[in-house]
Parts: sequence; structure tokens; C-alpha cells
Amino acid sequence: MSIGAELWQFVLSGLVVGGIFALIAVGFALTYQVSGLINFAQGEFAMIGALTASSLYAGGSGWPVPAAAVAGVVAAALVGAVAYLLAFRPSRGYNIVTLIFISLGLDIALRGAALYIWGTNPYQLAPFLNGNAVMIAGGSIPPQAVWVFASDIVLVAVLYTFFARTYLGSAVRAATINPSIASTFGIPLKAFAFWSFVAAAVVGGIGGVMIAPISTATYDMGLSLGLNGFVAAVVGGLDSLPGAFCGGLLLGVAEKLCGGLLSTGWEQGIAFVLLIFVLVVRPQGLFARRVRRA
Amino acid sequence: MDLAVRKRRAPRLGLPLSLLVALIGCIGAFVLPPYYAGLLTLIGLYALVTIGLNLFMGYAGQVSLGQAAFMALGAYTSAVLAKNFAVTPWLGTIAGALVAAILAFVISFVTRRLREHYLAIATLAFGIVVTVFLAQTDYVGGNSGLRGIPGFTIGAHALDRHAYTVMAWVLVALAVAFSENLVRSAYGRALVALGSGELGAAALGIDGDRLKRQIFMLSAVFAGIAGGVYASYYEFIDPTSFNFLVSVNFVLMSVVGGLRSVGGAILGAAVIVALGQALQILMPMVLPNATGDVQTFFYGLILIVILVNLPQGLLSARLRRPRRAA
Repeated sequence: MSIGAELWQFVLSGLVVGGIFALIAVGFALTYQVSGLINFAQGEFAMIGALTASSLYAGGSGWPVPAAAVAGVVAAALVGAVAYLLAFRPSRGYNIVTLIFISLGLDIALRGAALYIWGTNPYQLAPFLNGNAVMIAGGSIPPQAVWVFASDIVLVAVLYTFFARTYLGSAVRAATINPSIASTFGIPLKAFAFWSFVAAAVVGGIGGVMIAPISTATYDMGLSLGLNGFVAAVVGGLDSLPGAFCGGLLLGVAEKLCGGLLSTGWEQGIAFVLLIFVLVVRPQGLFARRVRRA
Repeated sequence: MDLAVRKRRAPRLGLPLSLLVALIGCIGAFVLPPYYAGLLTLIGLYALVTIGLNLFMGYAGQVSLGQAAFMALGAYTSAVLAKNFAVTPWLGTIAGALVAAILAFVISFVTRRLREHYLAIATLAFGIVVTVFLAQTDYVGGNSGLRGIPGFTIGAHALDRHAYTVMAWVLVALAVAFSENLVRSAYGRALVALGSGELGAAALGIDGDRLKRQIFMLSAVFAGIAGGVYASYYEFIDPTSFNFLVSVNFVLMSVVGGLRSVGGAILGAAVIVALGQALQILMPMVLPNATGDVQTFFYGLILIVILVNLPQGLLSARLRRPRRAA
């Protein structure tokens, strides 16, 4: 294989993992924008989605794949709702750094709960459609990757339509631009904070379900997914949903290129080197327009 | 304006507290069964790191999610010097503290403009880069770490387990005495001013950048020393001993004990280590068929409960929750 073809293959594999990072990153940006909260437990929603779906599917003897996938997303949403009401509703208005610590506590708790329910064994979900690897200009991606990209595109379209085209969406945008003025106009900040958290859990859950057939689902997968999604969100811009999304794709490609050219052990390292670089050069994120949150 | 410590003010708590701390360590080292004496040593080393972190977070109002990296640098520097160059850990630990301080110096230039969560993110990133670097460098053992790290010696006598416990707690006592004096000095008041608001501090003629850098380096020195002792005490280190989750634990110790309090660091370290241990012992009674670190569920849950109800920490007098105005 020529160098060019090899590089192209790294880029393709990078886009596949990047597609998942992008979903987690969008979750980070959603909660950050609406409730000013960085939720480090974001990756655990993907873990819950992946493990619920894979364990219900039970290697083919349980639920059919579509039902298991939906159940995974619903489970992530429920856990997100309960977690928000228990941990973040009572701590509304706390300093953002204290909220980060609370979310780290939540991350630890969710991982512990998953360990109790599912143990340390990996679970596998069947691909949504069987088939051969898909070839794109000489590079190959697993068939499941098509589903990853499709869910990415659908979610971006849904979120864009919601924020740009609906009345409710503009109310949410108003609430993120100036919460106190928005609330004098009767915009329910508390409800928005709750639903944005649940929406982030849903998006994370979808990411988990999508990646479960590619990599196996384990109780500790959320930590690495969460850190990567978080790096992606900051690199792309916490203030911008499209920014966070592009950050995810960029990070995936950067990691796979680094893994392929240097060593896979450095993948996680390059993510954080990139993060430091962005924080120095452009702290608001590469793709964000606004300079700083008011 | 010269902010250096010009006169020693009579410390209100420093001396008695540090003597009490040293006494606890020395008695505990000989009274407790070996397993618990080992935990006491660990609490002492973690408390040392947390005291430094408290100065940086509680007094200077900053945040660091990468403190374990400084401990790692102290540990690895001392271990490599002792194993490959036959340098005594006494010198190795000092060298380790220096290396940690140098890294803190470099990081402080990068993070100079960053505040709050952006600072948390940047320090977290540095911490993870350090552990990845250690895991990928064969010279320091890569993922498998370093084994058979030589211990501390006095003359021809190698320090035994008791001596390490005493040593850890003497270091904690020194750190407490030093920090209690520091925070009551003009320097400490400048720190508190900085923590209350950088603009206001600048208006008072305080060089915030310099102060932040110095206190960050000081916290790195504390962590580096703790790392050097840790390496020789356990005779084994690997990158996971100092990973992201360990940094998170240091922050939790700091927050749980109460940020703006030197003694709180010791309480925080004790509470967090004891909580982990208690859950490990209690778990099998509650859930007999659970495997692995299931207790982390309750660990996380208890942390959430503490942080949500006492965001100022266990030692804080103010129990009222700060509420958003809007």
C-alpha cells in the first residue's frame, strides 16, 4: 500500500471514531451552553447506551437489534434525567469548577453501577446491517460506520433545525445568550437546563449504541470516550454545537494519524497536546465565533 | 511592591497543629497493625500533595486537575536516579521536587491567561500528557513501570515501614507549619486577595501572574516530594499510580476537606482514603456477589452528596448554599 493510500485509510478510520467523539462533544456543548455546566460524566451515557443495547441483544438470543438499540438510548436518557435531578438540580448556581467536581463524582458512581450490573465482561452488539466493508476511494470502513455517519448527519440536521427554525429553539438560544433577561420574558431556565441535560444523554446514548458493534462494550469505555468527547468539544468550541461536532471529527482523524504514523500509545497523548495548543492559541475553540460566554 | 515575607507573625494554629500532626503519625506508626500503618503513610503522602493544592486552589483561587503529574515527576526522577545512577533517594526526592517545579514553571506560562474551567482543562491536559509520556517511554519502564526502587537509608540502616510513616507525617507537619505561616503572612494575604478577584488584586499592586506561578510551583514541590517518598516506600511505580483519576482524587480531597484551610487538606486526604477502604470492607457484606471495584459506585455517590450539600468543604463554617441570583 502506498503512503498516500495508507494516510487515506487513517483519515477514514479517524472519521469513524471521530463521528462518535463528535456525538459526545455535542453533548458537552449542549449542557455547557444551556446550563453552563461541564459534565464529565458525558461519556458514561454512551457506555450505558452501549451496554444496555448489547446485553439485551445477548449475542443474538435476546432482543432484536433495533429494539435493543432503542432501549439503549432510552436507558441513557433515563439515567441522565435521574442524575440531573439528584446531582445538578440541587446544585444550580454553584461555581462552575464545583459543578465539574460533582460531575466527576457522577462519573465515578455511574462506572461503579455499571460494574455491578454488567461486570467486567465485554458485550458485543451485532452490526445493524450485515455486509462487506465499504470502499471509499481505495480505503475501507466497516459497514457499521455508515450508520455512524448517518446518525451524525441526522442529529446535526435535527439540532440545526431545532435551534435555527423553531420557536422553542430560539427561546433556548435566548436563554444561553442572557439567562436573566430571558427569564424575565418567561423562559423556563430550569426546564431548559433539565431537558438539555437529557438531550445530551440521548445524543451520548446514540453514540454508544452506534459504536457498540465496532468496538465491544465494557463498563469502563465511558471514561476514554468522555475524555475524547470533552477534548473535541473544547478544541472545536464549547460555545458552538457545529464547532464541537467538527472538533470531534478533527480529533478522530488526528488520533488515527498519530496512532498510525507514530504509535497507538500516543493517541490519547496527541489529543491532549492538541487541546493545550488550542487553549493557548484560541481558547474559545477553533470553530467558535463568539469570544467568551457572557 | 515587595510581597516577600518580611516578618513572622505569631501563627495561631501552625505550631500546635503541626506538632499534633507529627505526634499522630509517630504514634500511629508503632501502634497500628502494619496494614493500617501503611494506609496512614499513604494518607500522609496524599495530605502533603493536598496541602500544596489547597494553597493553589483555596487561597490563590486557581484550580489544578493535574497534580498527580507532579507527584509522578517526583517519583520517577527519584526512582531513575536511585536505580540507574545510585543516587540516594534523599537527593533524588529533592531533584524530583525541582523537576516538578520546573514543569510547573513551564505550564504556568501556557496557562497564564486561562481561568476557572479553562485552567482546569489545561492542567488536566498536562497531567494526561505526562502519564502518556511516561507510559510510552521505555527508559522509565513504559506501561509496566519501575520495580525494585531503592529505599531511603540513614548511614548503613535502611528505613523500615515505621520510619516511612514517621517520615511522611514529619513532612506533613513541616508542610503544615510552613503553609500556616505562609497564609498568615503578607504573602498569604496577597494570595487571598488574588483568590478573591484578580482585578482587585492588581489594583492593590499585586503581580497576579508572578504570584500564581510561584504558588503553583510550590504546590508542585510538595507533590514532587510526596512522589519521591512514595516511590521508595512502595518500591514500585507505574503510570497508572499517577493517572487522571488520582489527580481527581487530590482535588476531591482538597474540596471535601475545605479549600481555604491547611488542616482541611489532612482531613480531606483521611476522609477520601478511609472512605475507599471502608467501602472495600463493607461492600462484601451488602452485596456478597459483587466483583471488582463496585464500591466506587457508593464512593461517587457519597462525593456527590458531600459536594452538593457542602460545596465549601467539610471544615467550612458557612453551611448556606450559594444561590444563583436569577
